[in-house]
Amino acid sequence: MLDRELKKGSAELLILSLVETRARHGYEISKMIEARSGGMLKFNVASLYPLLYRLEKRGWIIGHWIEKPGQKRRRCYKLTKEGKQMLKAQRTTWQSFVAAINQITGLENA
Amino acid sequence: MPDWKSEIRQLLAKLKLEPTREASIIEELAEHLEEFYEESLSQGATPATAWQQTLAELSGSELLGRELRRIERRHDSAPIIFATNRRRNSMANLWQDLRYGARTLWKTPGFTATALLTLALCIGANLTIFAIVDAVLLRPLPFPEADRLVTIFNTYPKAGVKRDGSSFTNYYERRSNIAAFSELAICREGTAVIGETGATQRAATMQVSPEFFATLGLGPVIGRTFTEEELTYQTDGVAILTDAYWRQHFNADANVIGQAIRVDGGQKKVIGILPPNFQYLSSDAQLYLPLSSNPTNRVPGQRHSGNSISMIARLKPGVTVTEAQAQIDAQNAALADSYPQAKMIAEAGFRSVVAGLRTDHVAAIRPTLLLLQAGVLLLLLIGSVNLVNLLLIRASGRTKELAIRQSLGASRRHVVSQVLAESVLLTFVGGLFGLAIAAGGIRLLTVLGADQLPLGAQIAFDGRLALIALAGAFGLGIIIALPIAAFNLRRQLANALQSESRSGTTNRAAQRLRHSFIVAQLALAFVLLSGAGLLSLSLKRVLAVAPGFRAEHVLSGQLSLPWKNYATQAARIGFVERLTEEVGQQPGVTAAGVITNIPLSRRSGKSAITPKGYVPQPGESVRGHYLYGVTGDYFAALGIPLRAGRLLDNTDLRRTERVCVVDEDFARRYWPQGRAIGQQLFLSPKQEAEAEASTIVGVIGAVKQAALTEDQALGAVYHPYNNHFDDKLFVVVRTTTLPESLGATLQTIVRKIDPELPVNDLRTMDARIADSLLARRSSALLIALFAGVALLLTAIGTYGVLSYAVAQRQREIGIRLALGALPSQIGRQFLTLGLRLLALGIVLGVVGAGLAGWVMQAILFNVPALHFVTLIGAVGIISVVALVACLIPARRATKVDPMIALRYE
Repeated sequence: MLDRELKKGSAELLILSLVETRARHGYEISKMIEARSGGMLKFNVASLYPLLYRLEKRGWIIGHWIEKPGQKRRRCYKLTKEGKQMLKAQRTTWQSFVAAINQITGLENA
Repeated sequence: MPDWKSEIRQLLAKLKLEPTREASIIEELAEHLEEFYEESLSQGATPATAWQQTLAELSGSELLGRELRRIERRHDSAPIIFATNRRRNSMANLWQDLRYGARTLWKTPGFTATALLTLALCIGANLTIFAIVDAVLLRPLPFPEADRLVTIFNTYPKAGVKRDGSSFTNYYERRSNIAAFSELAICREGTAVIGETGATQRAATMQVSPEFFATLGLGPVIGRTFTEEELTYQTDGVAILTDAYWRQHFNADANVIGQAIRVDGGQKKVIGILPPNFQYLSSDAQLYLPLSSNPTNRVPGQRHSGNSISMIARLKPGVTVTEAQAQIDAQNAALADSYPQAKMIAEAGFRSVVAGLRTDHVAAIRPTLLLLQAGVLLLLLIGSVNLVNLLLIRASGRTKELAIRQSLGASRRHVVSQVLAESVLLTFVGGLFGLAIAAGGIRLLTVLGADQLPLGAQIAFDGRLALIALAGAFGLGIIIALPIAAFNLRRQLANALQSESRSGTTNRAAQRLRHSFIVAQLALAFVLLSGAGLLSLSLKRVLAVAPGFRAEHVLSGQLSLPWKNYATQAARIGFVERLTEEVGQQPGVTAAGVITNIPLSRRSGKSAITPKGYVPQPGESVRGHYLYGVTGDYFAALGIPLRAGRLLDNTDLRRTERVCVVDEDFARRYWPQGRAIGQQLFLSPKQEAEAEASTIVGVIGAVKQAALTEDQALGAVYHPYNNHFDDKLFVVVRTTTLPESLGATLQTIVRKIDPELPVNDLRTMDARIADSLLARRSSALLIALFAGVALLLTAIGTYGVLSYAVAQRQREIGIRLALGALPSQIGRQFLTLGLRLLALGIVLGVVGAGLAGWVMQAILFNVPALHFVTLIGAVGIISVVALVACLIPARRATKVDPMIALRYE
């Protein structure tokens, strides 16, 4: 498990990225994070939903209750226009940050 | 299947979320847990294990609760995001600042209530007084280009006559002959008996010359004004009605022109109606009549016969008062020699003064009003200083918060605008409350008699006042914000993060600023206190002045005898004789008399009277003296003591030889050795006709004629009524019962003698004295009230600052107590601080009080600028108040528990 602070800092970026292409519900998001990180990152109910609600309050994502025939009613989140800009900005920052870390730690030359 | 919803509901219960939002969250989270549970089961977990694993999803639910509380709360409180401000427009910024200000104020109800109460009181008091100052001193008179209106009056300072009316001769000589004036007119206030026999009443009238309305720039809206022909006694049977009179008596009938009304027993033809709300200065005239005269009144020899006539004029555009004054002076000089006693007039220091009409009308009350306004401004200053101090304390407490914000990117501009928004919000709401207080205050002042001031009828609570109030509140908000904003900005970021926290020592500059504000408050409150002391002392000294008569148990009322029915001396004497006899026979009446002018009546014309054979010393002027006609037991009725000789009585009315009594001031002036009895007086300095001379038969006590504060002993001469006639009379009655109870009887007796005559202005002499001191009493009362509020504010301020100092240094106190300091030492330290501030405040206050006393000399009576006993009293009062305000926090300092203080934070 990654350091808690780092996780908190990057969690927003993760969620924004996951709902970029299509709307997803909370359980799906948590599963995807766990799967894609190979089990390194895990969010439970108590840590995920506050994040979702916070991003929604900021107007970066928007949640809608969706009912499909034969399926359960779910609340799905998708990226807003403002969220898209924010994601773009955060990605750039993150990449620069990673590049900087890499430069310092010498991974580039390894 | 486990009930996930109830688990979650329990978790969220404490948060008290909005119901639909809560339901949505519960459903969403339950859905998540449900799916998780099912997945666990599908992966082979037993229901019990799956349940355990699912519950683990809720681990850290206190985080969930905390986060949700934070996020969901933000729904009604938008985040203050400084870094993004530049992108927002300024209106949104303002709105956000105001909302933030409102929220922070709402969160500190104690502070906000104190601040609003302070502001409401101070602004309310200021508005109340300003309403009067505005109506009386500032607002232009209700006439077009009123700043061009002037008045011209005659003065004979060396004869003791500071102000005399203009004469008919002045009018006829000046009109059309003074280039500076486009119009010139004369007028005279009076009363007339109007209405039908038996139901007559006295109405205020104004006699005016034809140009009067043109001079004011406002004339009749129906009909016409007076003509030149209507200015003589034989042809002056016309009247112009005010709008109010027209509506009341003629039901606003436009056909009233040409109709006759009964005035003083004769008929007058209505020729015009004035516009609504037409009012000349403070006159409450209902009828305007021609100011008629005979050609004999207009000759050079009558130039200095004042006749209570006022002269007004309109300056030509661009002409100044100084230019007009020069022209009047030049004309007076050119005409001087045509007056028979030119030398005497010159020796009396004669001059005609041109002065702005409004300025002149309100000149007497001006210093009092300015003093009151200064008093309330001081109060506002104290209140504002108090508020600044309280805000500074708050700002100190919020230094860290501010520093963090600054480090997060809040601009300096934003820091300032936030402070501004908060303080303007505060003063604005305070201003609204202040308006409410002012509305009540103006009503209260009207009860206290403010509407009797010159132009007092104009005092009103109106839109203009409200606008000024709100603009003032806005300005005050900005002024108050300045020191706070400066304080916030000056604090360096790094510095701020280290100091002014509860754990550190307090910032010296901030402390010094707070303390100097307390000193200022104490000094200002001291000035108000000592001012109130001086005014009450002055009032006490005025009240201690012996008026020269015994005011208790005396009723007085005014009458006037219309010329039409009382043209002969026999008729006049017949009336006053019968009146004094019949009133004198009433049960409870010990004496009744009649006089042409009662003391303190505000009419105080003087005449040049000289003893036979008296030759003024070189450079000495002939003096003006009060001259009265009396009958009945006037002196006994008013309680004026006889010093030598005898009093006048009704038998003197029919005596062929002329007699008079003089007062002791007059006697002492001309016969210091005391041989006044038997001497002869001339009513004119000419001393021509021997038969005109009257012999002094008695000397009586001196009476304060114009005011209790009258300092010049002018001297008075009393003739029997037949020798000094005036159509205006005062009847004076001394009773053994309540004087007020005699009013109706007096009216009945007068009506019995002449059904046409009403009695008005019925007042006891005590009431006349009280009314004459209205301005003094009200201003002393108001300044005392202001001083009281100032003391209260200062106490709150001192208490607030010292309490804060104690709270701030709690840790320090704890350490010192832990190290063995005695609680009494700690308490003494704070008390000493308070005393030091008090001492400084008093020193500055004494200086301020001296200055204030010096400025107040114009309205003080026999009171020096610095009065020792008053100062000591003020020191005593302010010390007690300040000490009480210091003792509470000092005691609190001694009660600090070292353990708790050290553990704090």
